Amino acid sequence: MSQTPLPPPPPPQWVVALNSPMPRPSKAASSIPDPPGFSSSRGGKQRQQQQQQATAKKPEDTDALKMKKAWEIAIAPSKQIPMNAIMMYMSGNSLQIFSIMMVMMLFKGPIQGLINTNAAFAKYETESTHSRLLGVKIVYMLMQLLLLALGIWKVNAMGLLPTTRSDWLAWESERQPLEHAHFAFR
Amino acid sequence: MRLQAALFFAVCLSPAAAIYNDEVNHIDFHHALLGSPSPDSTFFLKPSSTSNASLLYTISDKLLVGAINPRDGALLWRQNLSRSADSPARGGLLRGLDGNDAVVGAAGNYISSWSAQDGKLAWENRYSEGVVADLELLELEDATATPGIRDTIAVVGSEGSGIVRRLDGNSGNIKWEYRDDSGDVPFQVSSSPTEVFYISLQSAMLKGYRIKVTVLDPVTGKQVRQQTLNSESDVATPESVLFVGANTASPIIVWTDKSQKSLKVNVIGTKEINSVAIDNTSGLDIRKITVHAAHKTNALPHFLVHYATEAGAWAEVYHVDMKSSKVTKAYQLPYLPGHSVVATSVIDANVFFTRVTDSEAVVVSSASHGILGRWNLPESSDVALHAVSDLVTRGGSVSVRSAVFREHGDWQLIRNGQIEWIRNEGLIDAVAATWAEVDAQEGLAHELEVEGHETIYGAYIHRVKRHVRDLQYLQQWLKHIPERILSSIFSDEVTNLDSFGLATPVLVATKNGRVYALDTGKHGAVLWSVQAVETSEWDVKAILTSPGTATIYPNDGSSVTLKVSTGDIISRTASSDSKIHSIAVFGAQEASSLTTVGVREDGSPVTAFDEVNGFLVTTSVDGRVLGWIAKDNKSPVWEFLPPSGQKVVHATARPVHDPVASIGKVLGDRSVLYKYLNTNLALVTAVNEKTNIASFYLLDGVSGKVLHATTQSGVDTTQPIASAMSENWFAFSFWGDIDSNESSAKGYQLVISELYESPFPNDRGPLDSASNYSSLHSSVESPPLPHVISQAFMIPEPISHMTVTQTRQGITTRQLLCTLPSSNSIVGIPRPVLDPRRPVDRDATAAETEEGLFRYAPYFDFDGKWYLSHARDVAGIKQVLSRPTLLESTSLIFAFGSDIYGTRATPSQAFDVLGKSFSKLQLVLTVVALGVGVAILAPMTRRKQVNALWKAT
Repeated sequence: MSQTPLPPPPPPQWVVALNSPMPRPSKAASSIPDPPGFSSSRGGKQRQQQQQQATAKKPEDTDALKMKKAWEIAIAPSKQIPMNAIMMYMSGNSLQIFSIMMVMMLFKGPIQGLINTNAAFAKYETESTHSRLLGVKIVYMLMQLLLLALGIWKVNAMGLLPTTRSDWLAWESERQPLEHAHFAFR
Repeated sequence: MRLQAALFFAVCLSPAAAIYNDEVNHIDFHHALLGSPSPDSTFFLKPSSTSNASLLYTISDKLLVGAINPRDGALLWRQNLSRSADSPARGGLLRGLDGNDAVVGAAGNYISSWSAQDGKLAWENRYSEGVVADLELLELEDATATPGIRDTIAVVGSEGSGIVRRLDGNSGNIKWEYRDDSGDVPFQVSSSPTEVFYISLQSAMLKGYRIKVTVLDPVTGKQVRQQTLNSESDVATPESVLFVGANTASPIIVWTDKSQKSLKVNVIGTKEINSVAIDNTSGLDIRKITVHAAHKTNALPHFLVHYATEAGAWAEVYHVDMKSSKVTKAYQLPYLPGHSVVATSVIDANVFFTRVTDSEAVVVSSASHGILGRWNLPESSDVALHAVSDLVTRGGSVSVRSAVFREHGDWQLIRNGQIEWIRNEGLIDAVAATWAEVDAQEGLAHELEVEGHETIYGAYIHRVKRHVRDLQYLQQWLKHIPERILSSIFSDEVTNLDSFGLATPVLVATKNGRVYALDTGKHGAVLWSVQAVETSEWDVKAILTSPGTATIYPNDGSSVTLKVSTGDIISRTASSDSKIHSIAVFGAQEASSLTTVGVREDGSPVTAFDEVNGFLVTTSVDGRVLGWIAKDNKSPVWEFLPPSGQKVVHATARPVHDPVASIGKVLGDRSVLYKYLNTNLALVTAVNEKTNIASFYLLDGVSGKVLHATTQSGVDTTQPIASAMSENWFAFSFWGDIDSNESSAKGYQLVISELYESPFPNDRGPLDSASNYSSLHSSVESPPLPHVISQAFMIPEPISHMTVTQTRQGITTRQLLCTLPSSNSIVGIPRPVLDPRRPVDRDATAAETEEGLFRYAPYFDFDGKWYLSHARDVAGIKQVLSRPTLLESTSLIFAFGSDIYGTRATPSQAFDVLGKSFSKLQLVLTVVALGVGVAILAPMTRRKQVNALWKAT
């Protein structure tokens, strides 16, 4: 086919207007107050975007906010400790399906938290906050370890840790006599 | 460890397994034995006048009175007269009458009347004057007799006088008494409907006895007349009088002249003596003459005399003319080679004789020689000693059942030529027993041993060849599969446990030299029995078994080796001159290379033994414990002498097979109290009979050192003192506090002691973690002394013998098996109950509860669930044996001595066996139903899924 295709027709005016944003209103125009009854905020989402756009403009503020959020996340596990402690205390030391499940959950949470430490703080990871987040992460890990310690305490209380002499009794062997006596009693 | 601990706790907390109803006769068997029935006091009897059923009654040589159901040979009741009889009796007497619900037995100076139907005691009497010489029941009612049970005439013989007493049938009170102080030997009593005859033997001037008959009035007991028969030339001893007719219409006295040429018969009450020539055509001397006559008042006055020679026997039937008191020979039962016995039975007035020979049973009437019934008998090498029979006529034919007692101790009931049942009464004299080892796996073990010693390639080829060879059994195996599946589904037991060592034969050696093999898998049925030695006092010291064979060591130093499967005697060794006190066994218990050394009565080994690091501990008859070293049988290396006045009465050691599952005891706080485990321990019991002291010494068998000693004062040394040891504990029982009157500890006591390495938890004592120890060469004080914890309990009954259950690995808790002679039972006390660490005077703490401890209570009642013998009356047990099986939960128990009893003990319940509630059929049906359901639903689901896919697009 040697025939060249026809150039596409020019887009209609509304498409052009839709695609190209309106020119920024001049400073004078922006100073014009809105008419009474007109609300410039047409939707919350748009406004947030506007706010973020506004904050993005101030990196120090953003960082401070990020650090604040990061600290909240780091401290969050410690809030679970009293509740977990009470739960563990209440569930008793017997080997039952519920107490075992609760202990499992208790272990699962901190271990997952520890593994996902970086992921948990990835949102707040910027070049400027990187060094400051280190401390936060350590606190976060400490808190998770605290929870883990609670779990270990519980497991120990349930007697599942081989910490006593009786747990190693099977590895101890009977003393063998070097001499054997044969008895001929009747 | 966790699992073990969990298992341990489960075991501790679970209640002791009781024997369930459906396990009776399934897991246990019991031979309730009587002993050899006495020929004069064995009879069929109808105990009730309303019912026609008759039972078989006897008094045995062991003075046991028993009633046996003739249908199946089961013992209905028995009573032991030897417990009550003070003076040793020459044999028991038992009399009964048809339709009279009482049998009267006498042994020594003891006479008692028992209800014939249920064996309950009606009355008993003990005569201080002397022993009961004869008994008779008065058959006819007279005016003075109270309705109900007939009166008894008893002859009591004492120094120089005989007393005839009429005893009231209901109460045993004396109605009248006739005393004969003439110095005659009281012999027998007999009665006719109108008179009572007291027969005594009057010493003649020179030698021999004159038979004196005193006729008494049955109502008053006054002497009516007296007659003396001139028999002094014939009757030399009381045994020379062959028969004194009992309760026949014309009672007779029978004896022979000394040359056994003529038979002398006197009709009691008359003076004349009938002499009948004995027509001996056999040419051999007559060895034994027995007289058989009916024991009923209304029976015809006929009697049978049975002559036996070494080679054969014949019998002659005589009739008594009641008017003239003449005796005439009616006919003769022909001479037959071999042995024969005759039994008498009466129907209405007719008398029948049943003659049982080696090959046949013949029934004749006393009136004529026509044979009414003849049956061939199965061949038996066992000689019949005596028989009783019970006859039934139906139409023209007769049906007879005879209870024949044979020389080897079998009591058979032969019904019309068929053996209905056999009671092995010879087992009552069991002196030793052990489990046999069947050699079924020996071939395989040998093959595996060969494979183990070859190169890898050679072993592989060997194994392939072996499996190819095994293919020849494939067809047979395939053939048995349906049968095996069916039997496993429908059989009583879920799994056939015989292959787990539960159906092992037991070898029992008896005092009279016989060896029996009992199959524990088939209710203790006798597999075979052989006469190993011709003796009457076979004191077997040990029976050692190796796969396929068993060797029996009696006390004379000889030995007999038998084949376990058939009882064939393989070899014998001659006896040595020295008497053997015990047998020492060297070598591992499983190995076939066992060596034995006899130990003399002074405790020294007969020959020096050769075993490196081997020490021998023996006891001597004079009450010492001696230790010996290899290669020296002259002087012991150590000697244990109890303090002066004390005598060693018993010594026990840990069982040869005594595995320890855990070397420590886990406490409630998870710390460990280490057990003092020493395989060389011996527990020695010594008593001082004068000061009533019993001491228990724990010795180290190698060094002879006393590790622990405890002394109990106020012990009744005449009562049984039993002891047992296992693992790290020992137990003993005795009668305590004989001296003080007000003591609360007066009674039978059971003491349990546990040995620990140290009083502190987590401490292994001075040897600490050393992997081995020596009692002789060691840096620390050795062997170290154990820390002993003891507790005593008051028990309700004496314990005559103690032993401990054995299991394969020792994981299952042990039971202390105690023989209770006063209640004729065997009880298995679970060890967790007998724990000396039970808290005293306070409730157990939570940690102690976790250990399974509970508050100590001084009074220790045997729980009904612990009785292994449950409702059975297991009498006279002298020894109880225990043996592990391939199932860890189960231990085989075998008890012998008088009765034979075998059962299985599961101290921690049968945790490795599927219970009866497990239904294989249900399981199979469930799986099949699930399979069918899947097969039906799978295509439906597939179609649905495909349809769903099409509909979605």
